[in-house]
Amino acid sequence: MSLRVEAGVEAADGTAYDGLRLRALTKRFASFTAVRGIDLDVPRGSFFALLGPSGCGKTTTLRMVAGLDAPTSGTIELAGKDITGAKPYRRPVNTVFQNYALFPHLDIFENVAFGLRRRKVDGVDKKVAEMLALVELDAQARKKPAQLSGGQQQRVALARALINEPEVLLLDEPLGALDLKLRRSMQIELKRIQMDVGLTFVHVTHDQEEAMTMADTVAVMNGGLIEQMGSPAELYENPRSTFVANFLGQSNLIEGRVTGRSADEVTVDMHGIGVSVPVGRAHTDGQQGWVGIRPEKVLIGDAGSKLDAPGNTIPGGVVSDVSFVGVSTQYLVRMPWGQELMVFAQNTGRDKIFRHGDPVELSWRPEYAFLLDHSQDVRAGAQEDG
Amino acid sequence: MIQPHQPARRSTLSRRGLLRGGGAVAFAGLSAAALKLPFFSIDGVAVEAAECVAPDVSESQRELIISNWTGYIDPRRAEDSTMSRFQDETGISVTYNVDVNDNAEFYAKVRNQLGACEPIDRDMIILTDWMAARMINLGWIQPLDRANVPNLHANLIPALRGVNWDPELDYHAPWQSGLTGIAYNAAEVGEVGSFEELLTRSDLKGRITLLSEMADTMGFMLKVVGADPEEFDDDDWANAMDRLRQVVADGQLRQFAGNNYLQQLSQGSIVACEAWSGDVIQAQFENPDLKFVAPEEGLALWSDNMMVPNQATHQANAEAWIDFYYRPDIAAKLAAWVNFICPVQGAREEMEAIDPSLVDNPLIFPDDDMLANTWDFMALSDEQQQRYEGEWADVTAG
Amino acid sequence: MTSTAGTVPVVDPGDPGAPGEPDALVDVAASGRRRGRTAYLLMAPAVLWLALFFVIPFYSLIAASLYDPSGSDEDGWRMAYAFGNYVDAWQDYWQPFVRSIAYGGIATVICLVLGYVLAYAIAFKTGRWKTLVLVLVIAPFFTSFLVRTLSWQLILADDGWVVDVLRFLQLLDDDGRLLATDVAVVTGLAYNFLPFMVLPLFASLDKIDHRLIEASSDLYSNPVVGFFKVTWPLSLPGVVSGTLLTFIPAAGDYINAQLLGNTNTRVVGSVIEAQFTDANQPYVAGALSMTLMVVIVGMVLVYVRRAGTEELL
Repeated sequence: MSLRVEAGVEAADGTAYDGLRLRALTKRFASFTAVRGIDLDVPRGSFFALLGPSGCGKTTTLRMVAGLDAPTSGTIELAGKDITGAKPYRRPVNTVFQNYALFPHLDIFENVAFGLRRRKVDGVDKKVAEMLALVELDAQARKKPAQLSGGQQQRVALARALINEPEVLLLDEPLGALDLKLRRSMQIELKRIQMDVGLTFVHVTHDQEEAMTMADTVAVMNGGLIEQMGSPAELYENPRSTFVANFLGQSNLIEGRVTGRSADEVTVDMHGIGVSVPVGRAHTDGQQGWVGIRPEKVLIGDAGSKLDAPGNTIPGGVVSDVSFVGVSTQYLVRMPWGQELMVFAQNTGRDKIFRHGDPVELSWRPEYAFLLDHSQDVRAGAQEDG
Repeated sequence: MIQPHQPARRSTLSRRGLLRGGGAVAFAGLSAAALKLPFFSIDGVAVEAAECVAPDVSESQRELIISNWTGYIDPRRAEDSTMSRFQDETGISVTYNVDVNDNAEFYAKVRNQLGACEPIDRDMIILTDWMAARMINLGWIQPLDRANVPNLHANLIPALRGVNWDPELDYHAPWQSGLTGIAYNAAEVGEVGSFEELLTRSDLKGRITLLSEMADTMGFMLKVVGADPEEFDDDDWANAMDRLRQVVADGQLRQFAGNNYLQQLSQGSIVACEAWSGDVIQAQFENPDLKFVAPEEGLALWSDNMMVPNQATHQANAEAWIDFYYRPDIAAKLAAWVNFICPVQGAREEMEAIDPSLVDNPLIFPDDDMLANTWDFMALSDEQQQRYEGEWADVTAG
Repeated sequence: MTSTAGTVPVVDPGDPGAPGEPDALVDVAASGRRRGRTAYLLMAPAVLWLALFFVIPFYSLIAASLYDPSGSDEDGWRMAYAFGNYVDAWQDYWQPFVRSIAYGGIATVICLVLGYVLAYAIAFKTGRWKTLVLVLVIAPFFTSFLVRTLSWQLILADDGWVVDVLRFLQLLDDDGRLLATDVAVVTGLAYNFLPFMVLPLFASLDKIDHRLIEASSDLYSNPVVGFFKVTWPLSLPGVVSGTLLTFIPAAGDYINAQLLGNTNTRVVGSVIEAQFTDANQPYVAGALSMTLMVVIVGMVLVYVRRAGTEELL
């Protein structure tokens, strides 16, 4: 953390934080509460993603940071300055809007120059030319937005915001309107640009893959609250709630009863089968819980075979569905207690491919399992399309 | 003397009360129609009345179609109305149209048909004397059969006889008549006794109106410059116009008014104006402070005249109507409603029975002194009419 | 004016281009012919209507403006190609002519200022009352133009409360007046033509994407700057059509001048009316009408070009 000496750097609580800091931020509309007192620290220079389904409050949070919506309570601090009540046009924050909101009456050049001209910055022409070069739109400078493709418009929107070198760049579902292929390439480009310019990006999206691809840190929002925050790998490997477990990738969640807690691990009785979960991955104090395991962490073998996964072995499964997807084979295995578990097996060539009806047993390493609170909805965050 | 029951039976719209503006709205359409097709050169509209005669079917068709001004007859549907009585007595069924708003506008409406000897589907039209003179001159009007209108010749008051444009009453019969003089609001200003005063008194500056009918106002202007409205030449006219332009330039005048000048007078927006007698009588029922004055220069006596247009098919029925309304009892009943000058001798005596309060009203039954000092505007040739109206319009159209 | 947005081709690199099948082209041509016939049939009533009620009167108006001025109704009017009529008419009536343009222009500016504020409020501030407020704006149209103008005679009358208030505030001399003044004429014009301004302005403002205004605010524009850099330029199509719809009829109107003006507020419409009807000099009326039309069309062309509306969207 670099030491920056600026007037007003000292925050109310006495600690200078040079990133974006939200405290107890709340937004109530007439009929519902969109954001319920969230606390968030976005480090300076990071690529931060706010991930969640529609209606989770992520866009409202973004709009409060931009100054387009006023918080009901709570504070927003940027580089040590309280900007909670500042007008949007006085904040060192710029936004890439969903559907871009390019000015239809101005050409690309003037769209990009808009912020500089308002601030009466010198050398507009040069800066705009450089920015257009960065987003590879130099040739389109004198076209109107309606003459560009969706991907080009997206880059104009980015350039228009970036050129102002804001403390924080807000991106509101910036790739949502693009087709899949273009979206993937833009994700990479956005990440590249962010690393080039070194600005703080706060990226709002409902696409977990997008968030995980691009962001250093992801905050998963649900129902106006932040469910969990961390690096993509942390969130994926060690989700703390059924919502995160289901919303980021897919999880098998199996009901179990806690039978013992030691310093290192928690043992759980899972329909008569004892399994263990490391203490750091057990997120419940109750007697009941959901044992979670990612499908690709589950090994599958013939009944009675010895699997390379010391620890938890669950016998008695029967393959109920097989999907061969090339890189892997995805199985559904019906367990003795009736639940179907997902298993993704890499096609390494070493293992046989099971067929529908084959009796199998499953196994996983205890350090991959996690334990979630039983009071949570087991289906929370699950996507319809799986 | 005002009887409390009187206002209730007054028509609220004066016969000129409808706007010139109302007619003007229609002018765009009319003017396009008035320009006859095909476009290059237009023949004159003068015709020979004798060659534009339709067979009279009055005997077989007991019908009569009239065009008149608004509010110019007693309520027609009443059982004892003059019109009901006419229909009962003669068996002629009358179609009475109130479609005359403005002389010039009505002229434009019928110009194409009458100018081409075509029927306008009217057996009688009622227009002001200067327009009547013009139409007679253009040959648009059928002569009346003297034998069919004995009451007209017997009963017309002397003041309206012998007009220079139809001295023998061959073509017209006055429906109602009126005087043009000065009205002022006694609550606001002292008596205005002459036109000269009206045009010069400083306490009236910007608070008077003149009438937008050329003959009315220019008659007075000619008098003011010492000419005779019954007999004047182009120099007199030019002098009078100069004087009028001067008055306008001085800001003495607020407007040329064709309609609600008396409302403005009553409200105090203006304090004096050139006015028609009948309008003043009606307004006096509402506001007794309004006074009508016979100016020192005299009074313009005008009339609106019943005429039978070319190609009318019920001339005899029209003549029956004229003769009926020249009966003193009928004329008195009509005068009691419309309040203009009654053109029928003997009606004053009949009025005793209808409404004694009106018997001595000099604006309905003017005395000889009053009528001695009246004029009617010189009959103009079509060329003069056009030239003068052009100059007049230049000053007044506003 | 605003329809160009739909015709701008959107570059889409993913589109391989429409396949041109020869059979399909033949079919298009055949149906094109059928469509052509239908189109003519559908257009026929409108063309006939225009021919009857615009082209022919227009032609006769030109003819009338060139008649020999020595004609009369009695003797008829002869075509003399008297172009001097135009010179004479202009010399005699340039003042009312200029006055008409000035009244129309001032009224249009007033309408623009009042109408813009009103349309802006309706588009952005009325919420669910939008429709109701719009109906209220149009409501005066349910009564006649004449009646509405006449009612202004009462409002502006010398003994009316408006005059009383202005006199009390010393904004008007004790013997000052409103009725029968230039002010009354312009006021009447502005009142009568305000809806013609408000409706196109509203249509333009209402379809502005609110996110554009947010974007301008995000890009360092305070509300005033944002208005002039985003809202105003995006509403220009409405401004142009509104000003045209107001100015053209206002410059030709004479009812307001006749009913609310005085003898020194004469406008060219009054002159034309008087020359057609009272004075019976159709050549003067024709020449003035033609001149007015040419001047207005010329002003409109210059204005539209200057406003550059074809590039707005």
